Amino acid sequence: MTRLPTDALQAIVQRLPTPRDEDWKYTDLSRAREISERWLGAGAAVPAAVLADDIERITSDIDANWFVIANGELTILTKPVGVAVEKVKKPPAMEGSLAELNAALLIDGLRIRVNAELEKPLGLLIIDHADEASVSQAFIHVEFASHSAGKIIEYHTSSGSADQYANTIVTIDVGDNASVRHVRIQDRARTHVQTGRTMVNVGRDARFQSSGFDLGGGLIRNDMIIDISNPGADVSFDGLYLAGDGQHIDNHTRVDHRVGPATSRQEYRGILNGKCRCIWNGKAIVHEGADGTDADQANHNLLLSDKAEIDAKPELEIYTDDVKCSHGTTVGQLDETALFYLRSRGLDKQHAAQIMTHAFAAGLVGRAPVEVAREKITALVEARLATLIQSDEDFSE
Amino acid sequence: MLEIKNLRSRIGDTEILRGLSLSVNAGEVHAIMGPNGSGKSTLAQVVAGHQDYEVTDGSVTFKGNDLLELEPEERAREGIFLGFQYPVEIPGVNNAYLLKAALNAKRKHQGLGEIDAFEFLKMAREKMASLGMDPKFLNRGVNEGFSGGEKKRNEILQMAMLEPELAILDETDSGLDIDALKAVATGVNALRSPDRAIVLVTHYQRLLDYIEPDFVHVLSEGRIVKSGDKTLAFELEEKGYDWLREAASA
Repeated sequence: MTRLPTDALQAIVQRLPTPRDEDWKYTDLSRAREISERWLGAGAAVPAAVLADDIERITSDIDANWFVIANGELTILTKPVGVAVEKVKKPPAMEGSLAELNAALLIDGLRIRVNAELEKPLGLLIIDHADEASVSQAFIHVEFASHSAGKIIEYHTSSGSADQYANTIVTIDVGDNASVRHVRIQDRARTHVQTGRTMVNVGRDARFQSSGFDLGGGLIRNDMIIDISNPGADVSFDGLYLAGDGQHIDNHTRVDHRVGPATSRQEYRGILNGKCRCIWNGKAIVHEGADGTDADQANHNLLLSDKAEIDAKPELEIYTDDVKCSHGTTVGQLDETALFYLRSRGLDKQHAAQIMTHAFAAGLVGRAPVEVAREKITALVEARLATLIQSDEDFSE
Repeated sequence: MLEIKNLRSRIGDTEILRGLSLSVNAGEVHAIMGPNGSGKSTLAQVVAGHQDYEVTDGSVTFKGNDLLELEPEERAREGIFLGFQYPVEIPGVNNAYLLKAALNAKRKHQGLGEIDAFEFLKMAREKMASLGMDPKFLNRGVNEGFSGGEKKRNEILQMAMLEPELAILDETDSGLDIDALKAVATGVNALRSPDRAIVLVTHYQRLLDYIEPDFVHVLSEGRIVKSGDKTLAFELEEKGYDWLREAASA
């Protein structure tokens, strides 16, 4: 692998976004920068971690055709019928210093082309382990030909006590009349850092459905970027983030409605407890001439602690007349009346709070568009909620 | 069973109960009537343990124990049931789950094991049939999208499943059509027994045509101003509440 000289790489790291950039106002990437500098300074070695057991555990839990990228290296490559797979050394040029960093440090990129109606989902496991500070990149492009259909499971996880920073890019092209269902599960170690971008181009009369689940991570920034340049597109995506002490989870979404008619709908929900911070910033841009656009966005948050902080920001930019746009944001505690109702039936306070919190999350879990992943998602969400709720006794203040 | 002595309670700075006393024995059905704002619902909420109501004076004992010391869930497990005037919608928590959790909380308190799943279903279906409820309500969210009548039937279903020793029904009759009213009355009458007591909080005499009370009390400005047998309810229906209010303030 030919790589840029270390000082050129360090220069890219210095250009990573800072809170002075409007889109990064709430998320400070100092930790990502610091880990990268340290790792580059120490020779930028790829950790030789043994991850076989972890990989086996995840890939056997969900029935999918798995592609595994461990510490940035492709370790498992399946070749399902109706799918063409090739390694990419260099991702296409993309805007921004994160994409630049990704291209400069990428070891194994992946390009997957789907030309059929896939039965089994494509599983993209991006897994890292850090015993010493390390940085990894992933770039995966999935292209669905017109009239094709399939499902994608994007699974991000990590372990290890040392600092780790993962920078991932997944791009999905949904061809004309194609239908793609996508879930993203993020269950990284509670101290690790990730910047993840999912970019989707939606074709004419095509359908894209997605659900993201952020359960772990120390500092997590997701950018969900959807581009609608063809009429008849139908896009809907959800996100659930569960954050406890020390976690920072930032979900930025952007939908560009360039032509109409087309529909986009998004709903993000968050449950926060302890000292943590989450951000939901939903931007929808209805460009000039995108008549017949129907865009809806919602963000609901449950704050179980007064130390938890949420920044919820809908941003609608509308440059045409014939549109239907709506947004709604709520931030609240558990409903006191409902808690009393449950307690008056004999359920203790903890149990009452627990079932109401589970119910809040369950709505999105039930809608996850890849059925075979739902059982795993349910287990992960329930396990995370159990520890999240325990971490703070008081739900009423 | 329930002894309330000189109870004073307020919400915020507003005193609502002003020295209320009431004694309810096992086997009795009491009706508490009175104009809006007289403190009927407050009484029900205080007995159930709602935290917004502060008790400033007096005592409430249940089976000889100080009730005011107990959390709402402990009161429920001891055998008190409050049928809400406005049953709460809890989307995402299904009715069967709540019924089972409530039943098991009580059984655990009694030192019993969890109810068998088959047994539970059989019991729930029977109770629902007697209340004219479609079994599909079991799998719906608690009161989610229920009509007024469906919500009240659901309260009675919970009561029927939990078999409380003391049931307090807060305006369970309000907003019900005649069929729903009869179903509610059937549920309540089925619970009547020498070991149990029922307190009906109501604004109208209508419910008492179907559930015959042993005692009728009139609440006005936070105190019971008159008690009698069921004929008092007819008298109230005829004369309204004004004459009592005048009598109370005199």
